[in-house]
Amino acid sequence: MESNQNDYHISFFKPTTAQAKWNRNLAIKLILIWAVAVFGFHFLLRAIEKPTPEEAYVQYEKVWENISKENASIEEMQKFAHSSLSVLGKVFIKTEQKSALQNAVSWSAFQLADSAQKIMLIDEVIKFETLKSEINSISDPEYIATKRSLSELASSILGLAQNDVRTKLISLELASSDMKVFKAESKELIPSIMSTYLIHNQSFLTDFKFLGFPFHYFYSAVFLLILFVFLCWLYCVRVDKMHLELDIDE
Amino acid sequence: MKKFLLPIILLLSPSILFAAGASTQLEGGFKIGPAIILITILCVFVLVGVIFRAKDTADFYAAGRGISRIGSGMAIASNWMSAASFLGMAALMYGSGYHGLAYVVGWTGGYVLLLILMAGQIRKYGKYTAADFIGDRYYSQGLRATGAIIAILISISYCVGQFGGIGLMFKWILGLDYAPAVIIGGSVVLAYTLISGMLGVTKNMQIQYVIIIVSFLIPLFILTFKFDYFWLLPQIGYGSVVSDIASGVPIAETTQLFNALGHEYAMVPSPEFVMPWDPATGQTFFQWIAIAFSLMIGTAGLPHVIQRFYVVPKARDARWSVVWGLFFICILYWSAPAYAAFGKILSANPEVGKLAKDAIVVYTAQLGNVNPLIVGLLAAGGVSAAFSTVSGLLVAGSSAFAHDLYVKIINPKASPKMQLLMARLGTILMAVIVTLLALKNWALIAQLVAVAFSLAGVTIFPLFLLGIWWSGSNKQGAIAGLIAGLLVAVIALTYFIAGKEGVTLPYHEFINYWLGAWYFAWIGAPLAIFTNIVVSKLTPETPLEIRKFLVLNVHS
Repeated sequence: MESNQNDYHISFFKPTTAQAKWNRNLAIKLILIWAVAVFGFHFLLRAIEKPTPEEAYVQYEKVWENISKENASIEEMQKFAHSSLSVLGKVFIKTEQKSALQNAVSWSAFQLADSAQKIMLIDEVIKFETLKSEINSISDPEYIATKRSLSELASSILGLAQNDVRTKLISLELASSDMKVFKAESKELIPSIMSTYLIHNQSFLTDFKFLGFPFHYFYSAVFLLILFVFLCWLYCVRVDKMHLELDIDE
Repeated sequence: MKKFLLPIILLLSPSILFAAGASTQLEGGFKIGPAIILITILCVFVLVGVIFRAKDTADFYAAGRGISRIGSGMAIASNWMSAASFLGMAALMYGSGYHGLAYVVGWTGGYVLLLILMAGQIRKYGKYTAADFIGDRYYSQGLRATGAIIAILISISYCVGQFGGIGLMFKWILGLDYAPAVIIGGSVVLAYTLISGMLGVTKNMQIQYVIIIVSFLIPLFILTFKFDYFWLLPQIGYGSVVSDIASGVPIAETTQLFNALGHEYAMVPSPEFVMPWDPATGQTFFQWIAIAFSLMIGTAGLPHVIQRFYVVPKARDARWSVVWGLFFICILYWSAPAYAAFGKILSANPEVGKLAKDAIVVYTAQLGNVNPLIVGLLAAGGVSAAFSTVSGLLVAGSSAFAHDLYVKIINPKASPKMQLLMARLGTILMAVIVTLLALKNWALIAQLVAVAFSLAGVTIFPLFLLGIWWSGSNKQGAIAGLIAGLLVAVIALTYFIAGKEGVTLPYHEFINYWLGAWYFAWIGAPLAIFTNIVVSKLTPETPLEIRKFLVLNVHS
C-alpha cells in the first residue's frame, strides 16, 4: 500500500512519467525564453540607460545661474524662455508645474521688451485673456486675430523663428499677472521641473531606429507580441509531435 | 455593382444623414448617428444569437465540436477584449507613454503561461467552474465557497472598469454628464444581459470579434493615410509617429496638416512619451516590471478566461485555440498604441484642453477629422466590447452565486425555478454594486481592470498552478496560501480605497508604491505559493484518490 501510494505523485520538478518529463523540459525552455525576452530585456534597458538631457536642458543649464540672480543678458533670457516654452509644450506637463513655467515665460518676455513693447504686450495679453474668458468657440474671428497678433509680438520679443512650434504656444502661456515679477516659489521650482521633464533615460537601444520605431518601443509594442504568439504556436506543435512519438491519444 | 450597393446605401442612409449633421466638436450634445449604430450593433448581437440558438438546440454538441480552431480563437479574443483593451490601453499610453506598454505586454504574455502551464491540464481535469476545480482538487466545500466568492469579487472588480468605459462612451454619444451616463449605460447593459438570458441567446463571439476589431482598425487606416504615414500596415506605420513625438514635429512649410480644431500637426520634442520609466510620467522601472508580471499571472488565473477551456471538446483544441485567440487579441494590442501616439500630436496644442484619457481613442479619431459616422462606429465598437465582456461576467458571477454558493452550499434542495430566480437576482445585485463603484471614478479603466488581475493572481493562480503541477499541495496548504494572498490584497485595496476617499493611513506612500492596487500580485502571488508549499509540507498528505486522478487523468 505504501509503495502504491508513493507511485502517485506529480511534481513539476520531479516528473515520474515520460510524458511529464518531456512536458517539463519543454515548459522550462519556453518559459526561460519568455522570461528573458520580457524581463531580461528590460533589466538590460535599465542597466545601460544613461540620463540624457535634451538640447533645451543644455541651454537652460548654461543660463540658469544668471537668470536666478536676475542679471542675465538678452540672449540668455531668450534661451531661458525658449527652454521654459519647450517644457510647457510637453505632453505630460502637470498643472501645478505649469504656473511656475508660465511665470518664467511671461516674466522673460516682459523683461526683454522695450518700454513701448512692454505697454503693447500687457495690453495684448489682457485683451486676449478677456477674450478667452468670453468666447464660446476657439474659432471666434476676433479671438483668432488677437491670438495671432500677440503671438507675433511675443515671438519677435523672444527671438522665436516663424516656423518654430513654440510660436503657437506663446500666446496661450503668457499671463498678465505673472509679467513683472519672477516669483520666489517659481524660481525654487524651476530646476526640478527642468530636470524632470528634460532629462530622459536613453541608451543605444532607445536611440536606434527600427521600422521607424525607436528600437526598444518596437521590441515591446510589436516584437514581444509576435514572440508570444510564436511561443504558443511552437508549444502546440511540439506537444502534438510528442503525442505522436509517445503514441498518446488524448 | 450599383444594383447591390443601392440597397446597402438606402439601408444606411438614415444614419449617414444624421451623422453628417453631427458636430466635429469633441464633446457636444446627443449624437444620433453613433446612437443608431450602437443600437443596431446590439440588436445584431441579440438577433444573431437568437438565430444561432434555433440551429444549436437541434444539434448542440455537434455544433460545438464543429467550431474550428480559428473560430474558437475568435471566441477567446471576443471574450477577452473589453473596454480595457479597446479604450483603456490607449488611455494608459496617452497618459504615461512607454509605461502603458507594461499592460500590453502583461495582458498578452500571460497567455504563454496560461497555455504552457494550464490550458490542456485544466481541460483534462474536467470541471466547469474555477470554484468546482478548487473545491474538488482541495477536497473542501469551504474552499469551493471561497473560490466562488473570489470569482464574484473578480467579476465585480473587472466590471467596474467596463462600466466606466460604457459610461464614458454613453456620455459622448448622449451628451450627458458622467454620472447619469454610467447609470443609463449600466441599466442598458443589465437589460441586454437579462433579455439575452431570457431569449436563451447563444453568444456568437466570432461576429462580435469581427465587429469590434473592424470598428477599431478602420479609423487607424484613415489616420495613418491622412497624416502621411505607412497606412497599409498602421501597426508598423505608427512607428514613425512615435519617433516624431520624441524628436518633435516642426511646423511644415509646404504641406499643411491640421487637426479638427484647426491646429497645425506639430509639437515640441517630447521624448518622455517614448523613453522607458521617464521621470516626467511619474512611473518607475519597478512599477513597469511589477505591472507586467502581475497582469501575466492574473491572466493565467482569471476565472472567466480559465473557464473557456472547459467548454472545448479536446485538450488539443484547447491548446490551439489559445494560439489563435492570442493572435486575434494581438491584432487589437498591436493597434492600440497607435491611437495614443496620434492622440498625443493631435491634442498637443493647449487649446485642445484636458481630454478624458479613457475616451482618447474616440477623441483621436475626432481630432484627426475622421468621418463622424466612422467615429460613431468606433465608439459603438467600444461599447460593444464592454457589453460582450460585462454580460459574460454578470452571467458568470450570478451563476457562481446561484450554482456554487446557493445550490451547493446554502440550499441544496432548491428547485430549478428558484435557482434561476437567484441567478437573476444575483445579476441585478452585481450590476447595482458595479454601477455604484463605477460612479466613484477611482482610476483609469485599465487600472481598475488590472485590480481584478492582481486579485486573481494572488488567489486563483497559485491554487491552479500548484493544484495541477504538485500533488503535494493539500487542503491546509491551499487555505494558508489563500489567506496569505488575500491578506496582501486586503492591505493593498484598503490603502487604495482609503487614499481615494481622502483618508491617510500610516505608511500610505510606502504601501501605495510597493503594493499598488493594480500590481500587488508581484509579491502576493509568490507569497501565496511559498505559504502553500510550506504548510503543505508540514501537514498530512493529499488523499490518494486526488493524487491518482492527477497522475492518471491530468498528466497522462
